[in-house]
Amino acid sequence: MNTHHDRRQFLKSLGISAGAAPFLSGLPGFGSLHAADQSGKKQRVIIMFSPNGTVPEEFWPEGDGKDFKLKRILKPLEPFRNRMTVINGLSNKIGGDGDRHMRGMSCLLTGTELMPGNIQGGSDTPAGWASGISIDQELKRFFQSNEATRTRFGSLEFGVAVPHRADPWTRMSYAGGNQPVAPIDDPGMMIEKLYGKQKDKASLNGIVAGVSEDLKKISSKLGSEDRKLLTEHLTLIREMEQEISHQDDNNTLVHPMPEIDPKIELVNDNTPRISRMQIDLLVNAMANDMTRVATLQYMRSVGQARMQWLGIEEGHHGLSHEPDNNDDAKEKLTKINEWFAGELAYLIQKLSDTPEPGADGSMLDNTLVVWLNELGKGNTHTLDNIPFVLFGGEKTTGFQMGRRLNVEKSTPHNRLWLAIAQAMGHQIDSFGTEIFCNDGPLKLA
Amino acid sequence: MTFVATNRIPFAMLSPFRLPRVSLLALLILVFGVASASAIDLENHPGKAIYQNLCLECHGETGEGAEDVDADPLMGDRSLDSLAGRIERTMPEDNEDDCVGSDAKAVAEYIYHAFYSPAAQAKLNEVKADVTRLTRSQYLNSLSDIMGYFRNTYHPPEIEKFGLDATYYASGRLKVEKENEGKDLFKKVDKQIRFDFGNEPPEVPEDKKFVPEEFAMQWTGSIMIEETGTYEFVIRTRNGAFLNINTYDTNSNNPKTIDTWVAPNNEIRDEKVKIFLLGGRTYPLLMRYFKYKADKGYVELLWKKPGGILKTVPANVLTTVRSHQIYTPTTQFPPDDRSYGYERGSSVSRQWLDAVTDGAFEAADYAVENIEWLADIKRDDKEREKKMRDFGTQFPEVAFRRPLKPEEKTLFVDRIFETHGVTDEAMRQIVLLSLTSPRFLYPDTAFDSPEGPWARASAMALALWDSIPNRDLRKRAENGQLNNPKQVEDRAWGMLHDGRARNKMREFFNHWLELDKAYDVSKDSKLFPDFSPEVMADLRTSLELFLDEIMWSEESDYRQLLLSNEMFLNERLGKIYGKPDLKGSFQKASLQGQARTGVITHPYLLTAFAYHDSTSPIHRGVFLTRNIAGMTLKPPPEAIEFKTDDFPPHLSMREKVTELTRAKACMACHSMINPLGFSLEHYDAIGRWRAKDRNKPINDDGVLETDSGERIQIKGPREVAEFAANSDSSHRAFVRQLFHHSVKQPALAYGPNTMDDLQTHFKNTSFNIRYLLVKIAVAATRQTTPPKS
Repeated sequence: MNTHHDRRQFLKSLGISAGAAPFLSGLPGFGSLHAADQSGKKQRVIIMFSPNGTVPEEFWPEGDGKDFKLKRILKPLEPFRNRMTVINGLSNKIGGDGDRHMRGMSCLLTGTELMPGNIQGGSDTPAGWASGISIDQELKRFFQSNEATRTRFGSLEFGVAVPHRADPWTRMSYAGGNQPVAPIDDPGMMIEKLYGKQKDKASLNGIVAGVSEDLKKISSKLGSEDRKLLTEHLTLIREMEQEISHQDDNNTLVHPMPEIDPKIELVNDNTPRISRMQIDLLVNAMANDMTRVATLQYMRSVGQARMQWLGIEEGHHGLSHEPDNNDDAKEKLTKINEWFAGELAYLIQKLSDTPEPGADGSMLDNTLVVWLNELGKGNTHTLDNIPFVLFGGEKTTGFQMGRRLNVEKSTPHNRLWLAIAQAMGHQIDSFGTEIFCNDGPLKLA
Repeated sequence: MTFVATNRIPFAMLSPFRLPRVSLLALLILVFGVASASAIDLENHPGKAIYQNLCLECHGETGEGAEDVDADPLMGDRSLDSLAGRIERTMPEDNEDDCVGSDAKAVAEYIYHAFYSPAAQAKLNEVKADVTRLTRSQYLNSLSDIMGYFRNTYHPPEIEKFGLDATYYASGRLKVEKENEGKDLFKKVDKQIRFDFGNEPPEVPEDKKFVPEEFAMQWTGSIMIEETGTYEFVIRTRNGAFLNINTYDTNSNNPKTIDTWVAPNNEIRDEKVKIFLLGGRTYPLLMRYFKYKADKGYVELLWKKPGGILKTVPANVLTTVRSHQIYTPTTQFPPDDRSYGYERGSSVSRQWLDAVTDGAFEAADYAVENIEWLADIKRDDKEREKKMRDFGTQFPEVAFRRPLKPEEKTLFVDRIFETHGVTDEAMRQIVLLSLTSPRFLYPDTAFDSPEGPWARASAMALALWDSIPNRDLRKRAENGQLNNPKQVEDRAWGMLHDGRARNKMREFFNHWLELDKAYDVSKDSKLFPDFSPEVMADLRTSLELFLDEIMWSEESDYRQLLLSNEMFLNERLGKIYGKPDLKGSFQKASLQGQARTGVITHPYLLTAFAYHDSTSPIHRGVFLTRNIAGMTLKPPPEAIEFKTDDFPPHLSMREKVTELTRAKACMACHSMINPLGFSLEHYDAIGRWRAKDRNKPINDDGVLETDSGERIQIKGPREVAEFAANSDSSHRAFVRQLFHHSVKQPALAYGPNTMDDLQTHFKNTSFNIRYLLVKIAVAATRQTTPPKS
């Protein structure tokens, strides 16, 4: 049954079988070294989401422009201070149906209203799915429409600890109105999607040895005619054995598949390990040019992750509702957001450590990373002053980094998506609800 | 007459039956009532000289045929008289007068006893059961039941307590408030899930407090899957709903079979999923639905069975009885060899090996993930380690269908526990090694002797269920309760009371009646405006109800399959097939005046064996000749295609076919095919009764030339049915096909008299099919040729 295999498609590590290899290598994004992009200039976007608002006092850097000082939450990203832009003043202005968590989540990347529907939040009217495409899927469509920028997947949606339920709080990516895209939160499933069905090499070797021995034993008891089928079986087993031993030589990927355990159980306490696995897979997929657009979604809006690995027992969303004078809650929320920043730092470090295939510099030079949240602050549920931070991608976006950028209060976040789309060469005039783009793209260059 | 290739079907392809190679088929066939060959001195037989003189050049030393000569091997199941008659009329080719009268008789007798008859063939080539691997069906069923073994999962043969347990909630969030004193909750049984609420609440007793703005429902129970295959499920709703098949999990954070909880705009939408399910099993089913602050309410659960049409899941496959989870492998297997006319695991390929390996990995993951459930480990169970060890020790025993020998226990169990301890990894390795072992994959090789009780239990489970022995059968093997044919027979009767036996019989009928041929049948919409895929789906149901009822009745009378004049009709079918006043769902109707006679005139088959705009006496005739009358046909000598426009328009179909097959070469077979096909000319291309064809009264008379050379006068389907119901060759063909379907080995391998004994038994029990099936299971435990050293 599907229900359980969805979670645990954790067959590991034989890699691509000999039969599949020629087919796969014919696809973009599965190329061997020589097939790497000659121009070297690739434009990539990664959007990372973490939920339930931030702690403004501990998030927003002191100072202005180039002269800014990171506070606790952004501290883990200090090494990339010169490559980040912290944008203060952006709002999610989308009104209509749905409570602010729902709109915060499902209008975040779409910049457009939710459909009327049957899902009731903690306040406001019930709502359905977002009514338009999200920016990541819009960029995917744009890149895939052009031979030069087309990749095998176009986009990849990674999740970390996202529950298996589909509603406006769990989905931020939309292929169009009413078409939510589910993130894959199981590294095992993601490996299978990226590298084909995997089998545990050690177990396979065990099988091969066991079956060979068994076949010989049983064959010896049979007449020559009866033995025929078993002999053929044995021949096939030997063929399989040879494939396993040659498999490592055949790996033609620019960046070999990361060595991770795809059998990891998808439980809360494994979240830190799953997070790193997903980041490894994400960077690997981009290094192999399987995609140029990716999202990385931590939990969900209203998510109740219990970050026991930080010594925090309470659920995240519960904590985010505590009043400002609850110092304990504030301390915990700060730690939680520091942890997200740490995961982001791991991602950015990895991009910065990986040379751009076929070109000078690192992958980070050509990869714009956006970190965002569905709320400005948890206990007020405000959609104003949402913490947006941009990193890297300078070579391809021309954005100016290394600053805190204060935009006018209540600037619609649609204008950020418009700016990013145009920086990627996608010359659209508006994105999402049109009126919010009346003042044109945000000026980031 | 044209011989050119066109885009219409050539004659050679008209045959709706893929011909097995005659040599192979003949090898497996025994003739009923053969005299012993030992009394005949073949060396000095007068026929021998004639054979060597006139026949050997083309037919070879022992009838095998000579190189470059187009002659079929001389072996088959004609009677001696029939063989003599045929030689008299047709041999030697182009010099037919050279061998007639007593010469023909003499040479026929020689040929018959020297190599033609199955008994003679059996002497020439020892027939024994081949070592075969599990077929796809056997593999999937066995694997599922290995897991099911640990929970002693039962597969009910039929559904009781139709419908689903329903709980209605006044709250859209499925919440029950204490202060409402039960007024916000209502329980009942719903026959199916299909509700158009409009802007009303569900129907509840007056004392309940339900409002239109919001409410919710939950249904639980099981769904009976009759046939293995891929099923499409669809939730059609304006509101929120989810469906789980194979789990009762209600946790909204876990994966679901269909999740369509979010309902934008209150619009009707279909959310679909396709899942592979095993036949003969009941799967857990749970569905939830809720309406919240929306104008209209609608919810329906639909499905599309393999080859079927999308319709509301009917009450007769839903039961309120809860079931165990059914382990269902998702691995895709290459198709099995069917060249012998039935599926056999007679070859291995890389694709098969990969599938077996994938299947083992998938099962190992399942076992590890579900170890608590499988091994009955409770939370904080003090016996956890012991239970895991027991599971690991039992697993290979269940897979190999017998206790382990000491050296096997070392190899498959002890060694693994030593290396990995009593851990998940150990479980994984044990499952992987057991399921890739030849001891599991080649059931015949698992036993030292085919005579032992464990081998018997295995043979019975494969014959009746395509699966492994269950707990009951193992216990009997262990306690020496399968030591004689009586004990085996008694148990086989019990084993029929199982969904898997039903499933296997359904597959037999599919095969015997070639039901899958009818998928995607279409008809000329101008000529048959009433015909639709829905009609075809209803006809299929009608036929299945008919087959099921006769098969599983007390009498289980084969003859009733051919002779019954009753048919299951519903309102839609009644309008087309002569019962316009019939209302509602399926009920038995007797169709007087139309000469309906069992499967022969069932509109499903008449429709399948017909062109899109006209009948096809040849399709129908070939089907009746082979499948019903049990006579053999060779492939046509020429590929001639039937083009209705080549004939003057005033000709009836009968006249056209007669004209087309007039040639002598055609008539060798068409003297059988045509009269049988013509007997059904009263039924048009969708199986409706008609009096005329092209304004001419229908002539359904004919003279049938049988295999044994007899010429029988027949008129209409009733006489054909009576002929088949009483003919030895029909009985024999039926017994043979059921044997092959059940055992997947040649019957001769189970003793030279197996077929004769079964046929006699069949006759003596008033052609009771169930009893025949039981006897076949008994015969399957008597394999004569053990694996040899």
